[in-house]
Amino acid sequence: MTTATTPVGFVDISLDGQPVRVPAGTSVFDAARVNGINIPTLCHLQNQTPVGVCRLCVVDTGARVLAASCVRPVEPGMKVVTNSEKVVNARKTLLELLMSDHPWPCARQQNSGDCELETLAKAAGASPSRFAKRTVARGKDDSSLAIAVDHDACILCDRCIRACDEVKSNFVLGRMGKGYSAGIAFDLNSPMGDSTCISCGECMVSCPTGALTNKSVVGTVIAAGPDAQGLEAEDLLQIPVFNGVSGTFLELNRGAIVKHRFRKDQIICREGEFGSTAYYILEGKAKVSISTPMAHVKTQGGAKGFFKRLTSTLVAREEDQREEEARDRTIPIDASVDLAYGNPVAELGPGDLFGEMTCMNFYPRSATVMAQSDVVAFEMLRNVLDIMLKNKTFRAQLDQTYRRRALENHLRGVPMFAGLSPEFIEHLKKSVELERYAPGQVIVQQGAPADSFYLVRIGFVKVSENYPGGELVLAYLSRGDYFGEIGLLGGGVRTATCTALDHVELVRISGDDFRDMVALFASVRIGLEAVAAERRAANQQRMHMVHNVPIDQFLSQGLMEAQSLLILDLQNCTRCDACVNACADAHDGITRLVRDGLRFDQYLVATSCRQCRDPLCMVGCPVGSIRRRNSLEVIIEDWCIGCGLCAQNCPYGNINLHPFEVLVDDPERTGRKKAAIRQKATSCDLCMNLKEPSCVYACPHDAAHRVDPRTFFATMLGQGSAK
Amino acid sequence: MRMDQTQRGWALAALAILVSSAVVYVFYDLDAPQGPRGGSMIGLTFGAVGFAFMIFSALLGARKRVPTWRVGRAQAWMRGHLWLGLLALPLILFHGGFHFGGTLTRVLMWLLMITVLSGVFGAGLQHYIPPVMTSDVRLETIYDEIGRVRTLLREEADRAVESLCGSLGLHKTSDQEGRRAGGFTALRTMAASAVPLRTSAAVSAGASAAVAAAPEIILLSAEESAPLRRFYLDEMRSFLERSKQRGQRLGDAAKASSVFTGLRTLLPAAAHATLADLEDICDEARQLTRQERLHHWLHGWLLLHIPLSLALILLGAIHAVMALRY
Repeated sequence: MTTATTPVGFVDISLDGQPVRVPAGTSVFDAARVNGINIPTLCHLQNQTPVGVCRLCVVDTGARVLAASCVRPVEPGMKVVTNSEKVVNARKTLLELLMSDHPWPCARQQNSGDCELETLAKAAGASPSRFAKRTVARGKDDSSLAIAVDHDACILCDRCIRACDEVKSNFVLGRMGKGYSAGIAFDLNSPMGDSTCISCGECMVSCPTGALTNKSVVGTVIAAGPDAQGLEAEDLLQIPVFNGVSGTFLELNRGAIVKHRFRKDQIICREGEFGSTAYYILEGKAKVSISTPMAHVKTQGGAKGFFKRLTSTLVAREEDQREEEARDRTIPIDASVDLAYGNPVAELGPGDLFGEMTCMNFYPRSATVMAQSDVVAFEMLRNVLDIMLKNKTFRAQLDQTYRRRALENHLRGVPMFAGLSPEFIEHLKKSVELERYAPGQVIVQQGAPADSFYLVRIGFVKVSENYPGGELVLAYLSRGDYFGEIGLLGGGVRTATCTALDHVELVRISGDDFRDMVALFASVRIGLEAVAAERRAANQQRMHMVHNVPIDQFLSQGLMEAQSLLILDLQNCTRCDACVNACADAHDGITRLVRDGLRFDQYLVATSCRQCRDPLCMVGCPVGSIRRRNSLEVIIEDWCIGCGLCAQNCPYGNINLHPFEVLVDDPERTGRKKAAIRQKATSCDLCMNLKEPSCVYACPHDAAHRVDPRTFFATMLGQGSAK
Repeated sequence: MRMDQTQRGWALAALAILVSSAVVYVFYDLDAPQGPRGGSMIGLTFGAVGFAFMIFSALLGARKRVPTWRVGRAQAWMRGHLWLGLLALPLILFHGGFHFGGTLTRVLMWLLMITVLSGVFGAGLQHYIPPVMTSDVRLETIYDEIGRVRTLLREEADRAVESLCGSLGLHKTSDQEGRRAGGFTALRTMAASAVPLRTSAAVSAGASAAVAAAPEIILLSAEESAPLRRFYLDEMRSFLERSKQRGQRLGDAAKASSVFTGLRTLLPAAAHATLADLEDICDEARQLTRQERLHHWLHGWLLLHIPLSLALILLGAIHAVMALRY
């Protein structure tokens, strides 16, 4: 239909009977759009390359088959019909087929009612579908903190893939699988949270259905108030740390970040409190400190005389030095600085982030933060922090602050690194890499080549070894701990697998730097070799034990993991509770044992500290105050803040919180003290200052015994098998 | 306390004391022209030693009140209580020359005999019942918790039935997640297993390992679920609320089993897993009832033994003072 009057570079076509002129190369879809004709589509967005996969934009061009208008360029004289009965029926069938493979209503439809597929299907009368639904679910991926992935709701339109690749050039998203099992995938089909996705949010805002949706955090809005101001996305984008973050994403997360103004001496957060936010200081200075007394629980009395009752008191290590108590370690807290035992106070300033572990892993606050001057800070929820932590600008700034302020203290906090020269520390400051791992991510794999040494900066790392019957946990490492030395000092192969238990950040020292370090500093080499030998010996002992006690029940009840068990012989026990009363009497009325538990043979394994070899109680301690002595006995250091997480984590309910009345600074009246209750975690201390645990001593029926399960049960089972 | 080999030392010592006392008593009886009398030197000695044994036995209660005092292991005190308490009876009989005397001494003698016999009975119960409880009550819980556990069981059963029959309007008394409450109530989910470990190797097409498997919900039609609804509302729920009441079919393991077998034939296969849960709940409720009964036997005799012991000590002291003074 191009005529002599058609300008060069233009094409004349007929669109639903109307003559229209459009530039050559224009797609039929765009030609219709600029002429006010709406063609439905799902896979096509104006800022993305058209791919024509949904086929919903089909039009009749007079050819044998209908054409996808988004990828079909106009041709001179083309006669396009966009709404014939044939076209409408074809679209309806397509919508029904898509709806048969789509949860109805999907997350997006439920939340905001704007699922494009469901809207179109409803308009076309194609909902519900007459076709059979998919029987096998494609699943959900809940691993990202910011974006929820529902593969069932995905219609494979590829808008997210093009958004990731073309719009943001991140190249994380792609297609995987074929035919019925095709789907979107992150990297090489990793869970989204473990992938290299930076949570920019572009895929989510491009998705036409509920396949990629904004993930709300519980209590997603931080309360605003006179001193807390909610921020609009435009305002946030003006701030350098938000460079590169999707404005739409920030808009969707409105309320998940607020700007606070704290007056001088105002408490920003208190130690031990549970929370879900992190703070980033923009202006002003804040004091971070631990106000819980630096002391541990000591139970005294009894041994000095018949009639003296036992009492539990708080004593500092100056008054009561315990075996293998940490002497030189600083107190790790959830901020870019560590605290000293003698004076647990430090300062935070502009650019400092604190509360990261609380926010990412929901651990209790590790310290009290108080404004030293007027402070302006962002308080943010997990999804916003996650976006920020993946933002290269912000990340670089945090890393720089860490290298400048904390890395040296962190290295020197490890006793054997105390002798490193300032020059070498300076070298390490520049050369180490700071790495992050998502929960469950494998850091090093058993059997892989050893090329680095790691220092734990944030989070908890599980060290495990594979054996024919499964996996044996060797240790949990927290801030200040390190790993990787056995492989580097030994045969160059990893001897265990290290896995991130939660949000973990590590300082990675390369193999070359490590070798330089051990070559230059003899004390470091000797110390590391000693630790490596000790760990090897302990691991061998544990493996030996696994092979020698192959009893399912014994293993499944975790008895093999215990070093000391309080067992009650149920053939003798009259359930008189004398043991419980004795324990309570020995510990100021707070019993550390419950006469309940799992049974093994005729024995009841009472709820009392087992001194596990796999001490889950230690995972998550925000200040690293619960640990094991070399004897594997649990010790709670003086800086326990009484948050109760260890009690919560102990799978056997064997840790208690013991309240003490102490005098603390009155925040309302400077210089004054007031009485307050502070809690300290306690577990069975075996009545160490007495000859025998009180529970055993007080049992009138010869039913209660404290035993080493390996010898006690192994002997018993050995006799059984001999018969 | 078990009457086993570990009691041998005490048993032999008690036997030796009994034999030697009996020998002394026989000679004393033969030598005394007016027969054995409590007021004689030997009679007084028997009385004093017997009363001392009684006091020592009674002190066990006081010893239990101060469990942390290092005044000897409670086990030694218990053995002393058993054997010396038992010896007190023949010694007091020797003291009175097998005569019950006046009113006070008669009362004392009867008190002593009943106390000792109740003690022997109690010791027998404490020997036999713990093994029975261990074998019969596999899901034993702390005695004081039984009421709460029962409530949890009933709520769990309510949920299970409502998941099949739809809402029955049953009153919810607790928001706690359903968890079989018996046995180790303090056991919590292993923290490690709560950590969402993901393995890419296990990822199937298009799905990640972080797939949340939705529980299968099977709702029966009103017609299909009628037998279960009737059984639950008419029989099982009242059993869970009043399982101590005798004469209930579900209170007997064999009858309960046949009831559930019958129900299985009336309900579709999809409901059988829930029926198995309900059967387990009934079994646990039966065990708790059994535990309560055994517990009452195990400790109920003390309601007689302790007051009688106290009365015996008090009256014994009065008798001693009066006899020595007048």
